[in-house]
Amino acid sequence: MAEGPANGGYMVAAYVVAAIILVTYAVLLYQRTRNL
Amino acid sequence: MTLAQRGRWLTLGGLVLLAGVYVRALAYTPTERLQGLAQKIFYVHVPAAWSAMLAMGLVGLASILFLIMKDYRFDRFAAASAEVGTAFSLVMLTTGPMWAKPIWGTWWTWDARLTLTLFLFFLFIGYLLLRGAVSEAPLRARYSAVLGICGLVLLPFIHLSVYLFRTLHPMPIVLKPSAPSLPGSMLVTLLCSFGVFTLLYVGFVMQCYALAGASDEARASDG
Repeated sequence: MAEGPANGGYMVAAYVVAAIILVTYAVLLYQRTRNL
Repeated sequence: MTLAQRGRWLTLGGLVLLAGVYVRALAYTPTERLQGLAQKIFYVHVPAAWSAMLAMGLVGLASILFLIMKDYRFDRFAAASAEVGTAFSLVMLTTGPMWAKPIWGTWWTWDARLTLTLFLFFLFIGYLLLRGAVSEAPLRARYSAVLGICGLVLLPFIHLSVYLFRTLHPMPIVLKPSAPSLPGSMLVTLLCSFGVFTLLYVGFVMQCYALAGASDEARASDG
């Protein structure tokens, strides 16, 4: 099978950025709701 | 177990399952021949867009229900959904350009779909700013309900923008009248990701709703 273009770096960056946003938001919510 | 605690557990479960989606997307889903690995950004970008639109859709519906029934639980839910929708919009707006750069050759273009999704993000921000700016609860709820309904009206335009305007953005491949145009293994990965992002949405909203309830109670006891 033919190889696709070499653009895996963009995929890694997108996955990392998405994970950072979601995990950071989860941690912030945890801190805000901890004392409820 | 309180609502916030249940939301926390759901969120934790969602984050663990998100790691599972990453593994499935990277190791067990075929690479598209023309776009290469960048196509796999789709498994994060599209579910994030779905969650952002789900969030705004529910903000709008809760806003309509609030205006009809004057029940502040709907207002609190709308506020919670808007905050969570902002986070998912941010994921959508950051991962989209990372796909666009290798595929289109540019990070951003002012075409209809992209511009309307940027409007959606600004609408979320505006909604949250409005809520922060108005201190009187009945006014805040009424003004933000009107803005939430505007957001609901925007959603069909976003979804149909690829049909209504000349745009670079790909056509819908799952949420369309005919059958999804994806190979089975890619479709399963995408559907798993949809499920995980929806679970995260629910977990986040439960926590935000609990916070909004606590904040309203504190205001009521102060006043």
